[in-house]
Amino acid sequence: MTWLNSHPLTFLVFAPTLIGFLIMALPHSLGRLSRMLGFMGALAVFVLSLAWLLGHGSTGATILVERAPWFTLVGLPVDYHLAVDGLNLWLVLLTTFLVPLTMLGTWNSLKDRIGTFAALFLLLETGMLGALMAQDLFFFYLFWEAMLIPMYFMIGVWGGDERRYAANKFFLYTLSGSLLWLVALLYLANKAGGFNPILMGQAATTLPFSVQCWLFISFAVAFAIKVPLFPLHTWLPDAHVQAPTAGSVILAGVLLKLGGYGFLRFAIPIFPAAAMHYAKPLALLSVIAIVYGALVAMVQRDIKKLVAYSSVSHMGFVMLGLASFTVIGTQGAMLQMLNHGISTGALFLLVGMVYDRAHTRMIADFGGVAVKMPVFTAFFLIVTLSSIGLPLTNGFVGEFWILNGAFLSGFGWGRLYASLATSGVLLGAVYMLWMFKRVFWGPENKDPDSGTHHLHSDLNAREVAVLLPLVVLILWMGIHPRTFVAVSEAPVVNLLREANAPPVRTFVLKPAVHQAPAAHEAGPEGHAAEPAAHEVHR
Amino acid sequence: MNLTPSQWAALLPLLYPVIGGCLVALMSLDKDQATTKWIRAAMYGTALLAVGATFWYLTDLWTTGSQPAFFQLHMDRLAQFTGIFVVVAAALTILQGWDHFHQEGWVKGETLALLLFSVSGMMLFASTTHFVTLFLGLELFSIPLYALVGTVRARSESAEGGMKYFLTGAVASSCFLMGGVIIYGLSGTLDLAIAAPVLAAKGLGTDPLVLVGAALLLLGFLFKVSAVPFHQWTPDAYEASPHPIAGFMSVATKGVAFIALLRIFPVAFKDLGVVGVKMQAVLAVLAVVTLVLGNLTALVQTNVKRMLAYSSISHAGYLMLGFVAGTPAAFNGVLFYLVIYLAMNMGAFGLLTAFGLVGEKTTFDDLRGLGWKRPAMGVSAAIIMLSLAGIPPMGGFYGKYMIFRELVATGHVGMAILGVLASLVSAYYYLRFLVALFLQSPGAEAERLASDRPLVHAPLAGASVLVCAAIVMAGGFLQAFLANGFARRALVDGLGLLR
Repeated sequence: MTWLNSHPLTFLVFAPTLIGFLIMALPHSLGRLSRMLGFMGALAVFVLSLAWLLGHGSTGATILVERAPWFTLVGLPVDYHLAVDGLNLWLVLLTTFLVPLTMLGTWNSLKDRIGTFAALFLLLETGMLGALMAQDLFFFYLFWEAMLIPMYFMIGVWGGDERRYAANKFFLYTLSGSLLWLVALLYLANKAGGFNPILMGQAATTLPFSVQCWLFISFAVAFAIKVPLFPLHTWLPDAHVQAPTAGSVILAGVLLKLGGYGFLRFAIPIFPAAAMHYAKPLALLSVIAIVYGALVAMVQRDIKKLVAYSSVSHMGFVMLGLASFTVIGTQGAMLQMLNHGISTGALFLLVGMVYDRAHTRMIADFGGVAVKMPVFTAFFLIVTLSSIGLPLTNGFVGEFWILNGAFLSGFGWGRLYASLATSGVLLGAVYMLWMFKRVFWGPENKDPDSGTHHLHSDLNAREVAVLLPLVVLILWMGIHPRTFVAVSEAPVVNLLREANAPPVRTFVLKPAVHQAPAAHEAGPEGHAAEPAAHEVHR
Repeated sequence: MNLTPSQWAALLPLLYPVIGGCLVALMSLDKDQATTKWIRAAMYGTALLAVGATFWYLTDLWTTGSQPAFFQLHMDRLAQFTGIFVVVAAALTILQGWDHFHQEGWVKGETLALLLFSVSGMMLFASTTHFVTLFLGLELFSIPLYALVGTVRARSESAEGGMKYFLTGAVASSCFLMGGVIIYGLSGTLDLAIAAPVLAAKGLGTDPLVLVGAALLLLGFLFKVSAVPFHQWTPDAYEASPHPIAGFMSVATKGVAFIALLRIFPVAFKDLGVVGVKMQAVLAVLAVVTLVLGNLTALVQTNVKRMLAYSSISHAGYLMLGFVAGTPAAFNGVLFYLVIYLAMNMGAFGLLTAFGLVGEKTTFDDLRGLGWKRPAMGVSAAIIMLSLAGIPPMGGFYGKYMIFRELVATGHVGMAILGVLASLVSAYYYLRFLVALFLQSPGAEAERLASDRPLVHAPLAGASVLVCAAIVMAGGFLQAFLANGFARRALVDGLGLLR
């Protein structure tokens, strides 16, 4: 137990792999046992992560850290450096939370090779947790690449009709970005004498600005592919639509977050000047992603594809928040990453549940589902409203902060881009509600061949148990978001101060009244969303 | 003959395989049907014993750190490294050969004897700078290989591939010989390590004739590593030869040729500054062409063996990039890469045997769905193919990492970018192997045929594949041990680099 006390993060990261190997060693015929074993293992990891990571106060300091020299190859030392701090705490918890939940939610979706699927799922969890916790860039790169392997097989083996194409596209697309990034990483490591991001940041400042820009671009492209930022998003609809439900949930829930997290953790702190230099193009691409994603989502006939394009739109908000270089915008991006993980994850689960019954995802095949499946409809409605960004749900807070941050940002383009991005919120309401109307209201749409869909059963207890925690989180994050962003506030403020972000612009009629009193108004009574908003006036 | 212990020690690693080869050849004379089975087992046992004895002897030399020599033959750490490398490849080949030749129905003793002679020649080739000894080694390992390619005489394309390999190989050997003759004629010494300072002292360092001689020598090496434009024989020869032999050629020939190239060009010729620089430029151009052509051609192959042949061409390109960087650390990376490459390619060709693909039935379609039928082989295949593509945490990634790192450090950023793009392209065709194994279900016709055929039984090949997969994974997690403790020490003690 002493080993466990000193290496909790190692345990969290690699325990899923151990269980995964154990499952792989079990014979094929024990698939059901393997699935149960995998679920119990993932659940145990979740419980342990809650127990070990929460309750360390919200000081913003590093919560847990493990660091040791690992190996030195061709003169470059690599550290075994895992840490959980304010920036990744909730993303780690989101990961450990979503994995068992998704396993439970897709319990009966797969018919064959369920044991292998569970094993791959656990290997993927190791990759995701490792990438989130790794603080050494080489170590991060290992997890970042290794993550592709289980996902490739999950899409390729258990996916839809076009699964081979989608899996290859996903793999090669991501690999192309990260291989070029590797060259930049090696270049910088040569200058810094190692892969420590702090040393790298110091080395980067000694380089000519044009070199910094090139290096930042290669970092940014690797992360932007994962986000995915327009125009690098084209792998996403294929991968999402072809992946099995569990794959889609994790892809949307965690893998995309790693892109945004990569910006926040590595790209911006290492190259603050270059990042600021490219804030405008990044923001422009984000705005395009927001509007374009929403417009394309509107015309989709497949519900899953619609959700996939809505992901492009929502992740565009994350990038806009990061590009605003304000505390509130960045905090909004942090929250929006969690939001998107919860809401889009829930949407993919819901689509999976209805697909398991009807074996179709075409909007035109549905109609009047509300009558047949009232409980399902209620859940779907809540998640839809959260995705749209209705106040009191999580979507509202995240998007509001991001738009607020963009609007207030010290860059000249802030107000225009914020206004344009706001149309994305509106379009979001259009495509989601229109889809909701066509699927759930109206007369029942019978299948012309069999005369009926298999929508004979509403959600069972297992499915309700999966969705309830998600709905609770949606409301909690909408009502008291501070729970989820308090820890990241100090690191974000610190990050922006070190990046020399331009001071925010205030658009108030009486500046004399509003400038000073930030400290006095800090009382948080009742207004959950308020305190973070006040941080704008730093 | 009064040889000192040191001289014996230098000779013994070469003698063991030769003695084994002679014994096997004698055993194969026995044509008595009744004892055939036992004779076969004895031949394979003898071959393994010879290889094992060499391995044991070389590891013993390695651990004691002694560097015996026999006149121009230096059994130094680098030669010991090469010996261990070749011997491990040969052992895996013998194990896979047992299963493969039974599947083909063509178990002959001379195959093993030729293989063992070739092993001896390879060690000779990589442990000297003396030109005549070098040429002797080259021919001693090449001629058996020409015969081995065409060994399954029942297949008509087997003879074709062997002939093609022989004719092109003979031209390359004669070019190599001509290059050596030119250098000898100008310097008056056969030892290339002495020739270089002599030529430099005579002021012939930039003489066009010296450049021609060096270029012809280089051509000989590049032919053996199958670099573009001397690669044409590779796909045909691999396709024609039995799977284990193709694996052995792809690994051992390439490995020893690179190690000998390392011994001659950057080290022995270092006094001929301009030769080194010019050769580096030539290698840079050829490495680019090799990477582009090898990878793009591999993309469109439907036959797994031809794909692996083009893949081995493209790996020659990565290894040449190490020479382009030209620093001791890059050579360290090249040696590490070779160790992993040994496991990857012997594993990849071993998989074909383990899956029981014989004759012409080596297309991607023949692999369909086999990963699920043989899970252990399937997982090994995934490890090996992803490592070939250079995906971490497999060992292949670290080989590329070390080489690219040195490229970037020496200012060849463009080459590094080209290298990573090449490995991006390569990921597609390696994934295709996995697509066939896992993502495609066998066609109805193949299913019917499979049910007719008896179940493939290839325990030794399977075991060798598992060993290879284990080495590949070890390369990913014990990378520092392999690179610093094994490859680096070969360079430090063998060539005095990196000291």
